[in-house]
Amino acid sequence: MSDALLEMREITKSFPGVLANDHVSLDLRPGEILALVGENGAGKTTLMKILYGLHRPDEGWIAVRGTRVSIRGPRDAIRRGIGMVHQHFMLFPPFTVLENIILGEESQTAGVLATARQSRQLSALMEENKLVVELGARVEDLSVGIQQRVEILKILFRGATILVFDEPTAVLTPQEVVELFRTFRAMKAQGRGIIFISHKLDEVLEIADRITVIRHGKVVETMDREGATKQRIASLMVGKPVLLEVERPQVTPGPTVLEVKDLVVRSPRGYDAVEGLSLSVHAGEIYGIAGVEGNGQSELVRAIAESAEVVSGDILLEGKSILEDGVRERREEGIAHIPEDRQKYGLLLPFSLAQNLTLGMHHKPPFATRLSIVNGKAIRESARRIIATFDIRTPSEETPANALSGGNQQKAVVAREMSANPKLLVASQPTRGVDIGATEFIHRQLVKARGEGKAVLLVSADLDELMALSDRIGIIFKGKIIKEIAHDQAVKDEVGLYMTGEKAHGAA
Amino acid sequence: MAQHRGRFGVYALEQSAPFIGFLASMAVLTLIIMGLGENPGKAFQGIFKFSISDAAKLAAILSISIPYYLSGLSIVIAFRAGVFNIGNEGQYFIGGMVGAIAGVYFPLPAFLHIPVVIIFSMLGGALWAFIPAILKAAKGISEVITTIMFNNIALALVNFLVNGPLSGLQKGTSLEPQMKKLLPTAMFGKLNGFFRSIGWNVPNYVYLDYSLIVAIIAGVAIWFLLFRTRQGFEIRAVGTSIDVSRYAGIRVNRVQIGAFMLSGAIAGLIGLQEIFAIRGFYTYNLASGLGFDGIAISLIAKNSPIGIIFSSALFAFLKQAGYGLQLFSKVPNSVTYAIQGIMILFIVAINEILIRAARSLRKKEVA
Amino acid sequence: MDLSFLGFFLVKGLEISSPIAFSAMGGVFSERAGVVNIALEGIMTVTALTLVWGAILFQSVWMGLLVAVITGMLMALIHAVVTITFKVDHVVSGVAINVFAIGLSRFLCQSFFGAETQSKINPYLFPKLLGINSLAFWLIPAAALGWFLLYRTVFGLRLRSVGENPEAADTLGVNVTFLRYAGVLISGALCGIASATLFADKWITGMVAGRGFIALAAVIFGRWDPIGAVLASLLFGYADTVRIVFASKIPIPDQFIQMFPYILAVVVLAGIVGRSRAPAWDGRNYEKGED
Repeated sequence: MSDALLEMREITKSFPGVLANDHVSLDLRPGEILALVGENGAGKTTLMKILYGLHRPDEGWIAVRGTRVSIRGPRDAIRRGIGMVHQHFMLFPPFTVLENIILGEESQTAGVLATARQSRQLSALMEENKLVVELGARVEDLSVGIQQRVEILKILFRGATILVFDEPTAVLTPQEVVELFRTFRAMKAQGRGIIFISHKLDEVLEIADRITVIRHGKVVETMDREGATKQRIASLMVGKPVLLEVERPQVTPGPTVLEVKDLVVRSPRGYDAVEGLSLSVHAGEIYGIAGVEGNGQSELVRAIAESAEVVSGDILLEGKSILEDGVRERREEGIAHIPEDRQKYGLLLPFSLAQNLTLGMHHKPPFATRLSIVNGKAIRESARRIIATFDIRTPSEETPANALSGGNQQKAVVAREMSANPKLLVASQPTRGVDIGATEFIHRQLVKARGEGKAVLLVSADLDELMALSDRIGIIFKGKIIKEIAHDQAVKDEVGLYMTGEKAHGAA
Repeated sequence: MAQHRGRFGVYALEQSAPFIGFLASMAVLTLIIMGLGENPGKAFQGIFKFSISDAAKLAAILSISIPYYLSGLSIVIAFRAGVFNIGNEGQYFIGGMVGAIAGVYFPLPAFLHIPVVIIFSMLGGALWAFIPAILKAAKGISEVITTIMFNNIALALVNFLVNGPLSGLQKGTSLEPQMKKLLPTAMFGKLNGFFRSIGWNVPNYVYLDYSLIVAIIAGVAIWFLLFRTRQGFEIRAVGTSIDVSRYAGIRVNRVQIGAFMLSGAIAGLIGLQEIFAIRGFYTYNLASGLGFDGIAISLIAKNSPIGIIFSSALFAFLKQAGYGLQLFSKVPNSVTYAIQGIMILFIVAINEILIRAARSLRKKEVA
Repeated sequence: MDLSFLGFFLVKGLEISSPIAFSAMGGVFSERAGVVNIALEGIMTVTALTLVWGAILFQSVWMGLLVAVITGMLMALIHAVVTITFKVDHVVSGVAINVFAIGLSRFLCQSFFGAETQSKINPYLFPKLLGINSLAFWLIPAAALGWFLLYRTVFGLRLRSVGENPEAADTLGVNVTFLRYAGVLISGALCGIASATLFADKWITGMVAGRGFIALAAVIFGRWDPIGAVLASLLFGYADTVRIVFASKIPIPDQFIQMFPYILAVVVLAGIVGRSRAPAWDGRNYEKGED
């Protein structure tokens, strides 16, 4: 018991509408690498946030080196020797490596940074851990792999004995992954414990000593490396196929509505997130894109919605290229878009629900006359109809959008986009953060759209949702569609493996 | 039913910052008066006696509030679009000059001349907003700095033009530098007769002139634009969230440039009363600071075209109150300037708090 | 051109640049901590007044300087409270403070000196050195000190981190609120010094004449670096000096020459290639626990 470095017991945490962690327990021993595996939304991130003090658990306890602790915040966690390397680095890009590492724990003489002394200390630390970085370099000039080293040095510098890595290999090249694992082994040898969160089963099997699988907030199983196989882990991750009660009438797909040809899209982070991607979606079809977040889905969607950062390739709507068209033109031509982040992109929060329901069409009749006069009556009537049809819970159509619950806000966005009667509906995480009732409703609406002959491009991190709704599933991996599977042939385990890059045809 | 009351209550709470702020600053004023060793009762009595004790005095307040209103209106349209046009002072001076040029050099019959003069004033103001607008749209340069720079450039420019090519004075006269006198057809007539006919005894020295009509029309027009047209909807959307607006297909740059230039155009009207009704000629010695006052007026009224009716009247009242204080007590006139500033700070800070409070109240209600 | 004229020009230019330079450095500290402060102009207006008042009252220009610095910090404190604690938009608050400052300075002037638009003459002046206000020479060590403070001390590092990524800084145990306040208060103090390099003998309405806003342009042009901002201020200052010294000799009308510093500021801003890099969280309000 108390030779464990870290014990987490019966950790339970719920948020409004979601039970994120359900009596989760795990152990970490010194000199051990524990892999934490699970789908998006399974509860891994919440659990680690609790460990790092960003959330307080509703139930359960944590013990570090046998002593029960209450972790009140990241500073507390750091003091207890817990260090976290986040998936999205917490660095200061214009500062030097040295500055990034020492911030908060600076060595000083009367307020003046003791740079020389500190550099020597850090050099020793780097030597010890075989993690060498140029201290004077600016972080923004460094490659992602080296930036990660800086993050690791940050926590080593603070004496971390329990190191948590959240999807560390997501942004690394194969060579960099090799380096990282070498570092892991070195830290193991020093008696530190590592929790390694990852989707990549190959890597998990290579480096982990034990593997804990989490699904829907519960620990499904903790197994030793000995005897673990990818198939076993993948099937534990995705679980038995959930029978979603979605009626899908037979629909014969029509002509191609959306065609994406060899699309290359640059991500704001500087690399090509979409690398020569091709797909096509037909009328009366739901095409689902499955993939681990960060493989180019968001960039693909943004390119279709507004041509952001398209480097090369083409996007065609009913045979005509839309690359040169602005957002308004695309809407006029029949593209509707349910955005990933409804608060940032989808709704004008201080405005009334009724006004929000006209966004995108607000300039056309019946909402605005030809003389540009706003037709308040038409807006309200249309809003009332939509609210009734889509069962949006709100005191009135004049209620400001920021007063609605997340589920109803999402319903409003879905309702609006569907009411535009588009040819192509791009739905990005349409049920994220939405309660069950609203989720079911949105699913039915998507199927209805399909029945009406619309083309639906569905991007979702929820595999069950994708599998229940999609006629075809395209698995996106490193910016390309690596495999398309028809609805009848889709098997959850298999899809999961493709998503993690296990069954890519050709390169892995 | 209870829901309706609750909803109205939250709305009322959200809008109450100006009132609370006003009361708070009146409290501060009282403290200052006492601090200066004066009896607050006597001081406030002096204020009322001087500023609102009879019809003539009320008319004076109305008259003074006209340029304030136009200035505030120019800011309302800009701030609603998320454009921080601090340059309405420069737009006011340039607009007035261009309008005066039309008033001096274009011989036209009165029924044409006055509209032309108004249009040219607007063109002048819009023109002066043009470069900062383009710089913002094309290069993302903060309009706060560029418009302020343009204020200073404007003052120097009108100084040069009025002393030079546009001068209306003979050499050797000691009058203040000015353009040629306006043609009589361009002069704004007074409406005092009209008011007297409806029972409001407005003395002749109070200027209730055509600029009042201009202000009313402009106010109605801007209100209508913002709340009854789709362009106004887009303006307000852009001012709320550029991301959402872009996603909805709104052409953000176009909207902001348009609002920016409209703001300049309205600012060009600020000087109408002083140039075309009171003085009869253009000079760069026009009332200065009206531009910044407009910013204050708009902020106090939460950028509402209707709200600024009250805040511009308030500013006019405060101006008179200052004189009243000075005449009837030992409190100096300039305390009103300080109070204006305090009021704005109170109102913007309290407003922030109330908006957050309202938001969380609404969430609970809907939950 | 003879050497003595060149010397005069150099020294005069320093004097003319220093109000812009000191306030620009203040702007740098504030924005590096993430708070946009466009109220530099207003703060300088008030501190210039209290400088004169303090000097006369205490019969010492150094006391006047102290009063000015304290006043500057108090004015800046208002901005800090309104933006950091009440989370009002930084530009709105800055505008409000500018309006308040104009009113406040007139009120104080009337209260201290009986006249709204100008003060009494202050006979206590800063010692002159080489023909100019010797305070202007402090600019050089001040710039060096500012640079050192920002880049070589714990305080400076943490201040910069707060403006760059307050979330990460918070996680690492940095007191975000304290540092933001500090940045704003420093800008207030520097405004006090800036106004002291302007004139000390009298206060007149409008004497700051837009220098506080030119300082903002200098902050941007100087890429939010104290030395850069000072160099940019010198550019503006020396350009203005050219105007003053050569005014009579150039066949361009007076008023166009007056416009010069402002046009220069716009041209400089317009000419900056691409978008310059403000601290990442400059102008944004940070709430603890925001995700």
